[in-house]
Amino acid sequence: MTIMTYAQALNGAHSIAMKDDPLVFAIGQDIGSYGGYYGVTAGLLETFGKERVLDTPISEIAITGASVGAAVVGTRPILEIGFVDFVGTCWDQIFNQAAKFCYMSGGQARVPMVIRMACGAGLAYGVHHSQSLEAWFTHIPGLKVVMPSTPIDAKGLLLSAIEDDNPVIFLEHKFLYNQQGEVPDGPYRIPIGKAHIARKGKDVTIVAWSRAVHWALATAEELANDGIDCEVVDLRTLSPLDEATVAHSVEKTGRVVVCHEACLTGGFGAEIVARVTEKFFDSLEAPPVRVAAPDIPVPSSRPLENEYLRPERRLSDAVRNLNAVSHRRI
Amino acid sequence: MSLSAKDLKELYRIILLIRRFEETAFEMALQGAYDNYHGGMGQEANPAGVCYGLRQTDRTMITHRGLGVLIARGVSVKDIFAGLYAKEESPTRGRIPVYHMAEPNLGVLGGTSMVGSVIPLAVGSALATRLEGKDDVTVSFFGDGAVNRGDFHEGVNLASVRKLPIVFFCENNFYAKSVPLAESTAGGSIVARAESYGIPGECIDGNDVIAVHETVQTAIARARAGEGPTLIECETYRWTPHSTAGDREFARTEEELVQWKAKCPVLRLEKQLLKEGHMTEELLHTVDEAIKKEVTEAVSFAEGAPYAAADVAFENVYV
Repeated sequence: MTIMTYAQALNGAHSIAMKDDPLVFAIGQDIGSYGGYYGVTAGLLETFGKERVLDTPISEIAITGASVGAAVVGTRPILEIGFVDFVGTCWDQIFNQAAKFCYMSGGQARVPMVIRMACGAGLAYGVHHSQSLEAWFTHIPGLKVVMPSTPIDAKGLLLSAIEDDNPVIFLEHKFLYNQQGEVPDGPYRIPIGKAHIARKGKDVTIVAWSRAVHWALATAEELANDGIDCEVVDLRTLSPLDEATVAHSVEKTGRVVVCHEACLTGGFGAEIVARVTEKFFDSLEAPPVRVAAPDIPVPSSRPLENEYLRPERRLSDAVRNLNAVSHRRI
Repeated sequence: MSLSAKDLKELYRIILLIRRFEETAFEMALQGAYDNYHGGMGQEANPAGVCYGLRQTDRTMITHRGLGVLIARGVSVKDIFAGLYAKEESPTRGRIPVYHMAEPNLGVLGGTSMVGSVIPLAVGSALATRLEGKDDVTVSFFGDGAVNRGDFHEGVNLASVRKLPIVFFCENNFYAKSVPLAESTAGGSIVARAESYGIPGECIDGNDVIAVHETVQTAIARARAGEGPTLIECETYRWTPHSTAGDREFARTEEELVQWKAKCPVLRLEKQLLKEGHMTEELLHTVDEAIKKEVTEAVSFAEGAPYAAADVAFENVYV
């Protein structure tokens, strides 16, 4: 075990995968000597050379399409798109090509690629560098969507993503890059498609992912003082969704709050709430609740951005209120 | 690397097979056997000339007007008609338009519906080839409509800066669906764009299958030798509308069509074979009869083949 940052953990996963398999390569803008926007690819160029650490032109269509093409013929690209906000420039190559090649070829072609993108607000980067767009990707069959919340998860999930034969959208929260944690030194995998109980509890289930897991854990600690025992489910993977873990928790607590940093409308929280309501209605003691960002672009100034980030502040009251409600068998 | 008499005869069989396929595929669409067909009649010299002489491990992708490429790479017309009829026996299993058909074992990686989006995919194939330490080449087919897409500019630029083993092959039929080249393409020349990306460019008569073959072979030799990409612009013309789905013709005139039909790529090779004594009228007839039989049988097979069972729709979404 070594104490390291989320960014260093991701860097370690790159090194392990690239040493293990000569067909794994990294591609993206400024990932070479610059080391990537957040230092995730630092030092890889020196170790693996220019043919496997490809600094590219600012051509998101070309580098995304080329990664898909390279994956289809059997290599394993790890593509960095610096910000998920930029995905519109290469969206066709992701949702029409990467996501559908396996289907289109009747399983003859696979697309074993990872697209790493930074998401999230909190650094006052403004409307084009702060969004949480995970719901877009979950709407596309053929894509897997992974969002680690800790350094240990970041490394283990990235190694699984690189070895996965499907295209994996790997969303890293930029506020977490410098977060530290204990990380095993060697290779290990955290399975894609399995949620993690980040805290056990019996009164209210809080479902979260990425940075919101930390809000959920802080809220749970705060409410424990008031005798409210929260269970925190860190989804880790949004697609495929680990419905069983969510269901098991909700069956136990009877109350569920979904907390996410993305805007409310059409956010992935809606999907969780819909599934819980459709399939586990009889387990619910109170109506499910979503705590999400308001439906506005992410503003730049610190005070205004803070308005966007209101789920962090509102979660505690939402859980408290929900815990007070009981409609069992209404 | 000039073509022997045997090569020319085989090339003739391929170009004629594509022609007979195109005629029938277009006719069956008009009869309502399937919803739509994007005909490639008139452009047969391109797939035939490009694909002849490729290694099986060389890679190509197809376009929405690219079924001739499938034939030229060895996919059976039976499989293709089954694809047009959307039957399970096709490699598509009836789940996707035939223009996306992939046969990786024959070097066909598939196709897409967004004009030009295959270009970056082909660049990636070339990138992978180099990573694997192989000297295979990727040929990226696209039409004149694609050269104004970002996919083209970004893809050619990336391939050039990394000197990738790829040939950019543009079938210029002068119309992007209904819009003429002059109204869509600044500078008036596609091949001129090669210079700005620092790669060689050639503009050739796209109805001369031998010229197409030889030009592409030279570009492939460059690519194999590590000298990077080439852009080839091939001037040709489609004899049928953009598609059979009720497409109207605006800019294209009957006179223009007549002029281009006089430059038929199939007849041109036929005349040369007769003149040089490689084939006789009788032999041409025998080849044609065999091809017609192959096409007719393929249609009958596709008509009679079953659709896939419902559960096939749910397979292969993920590996």
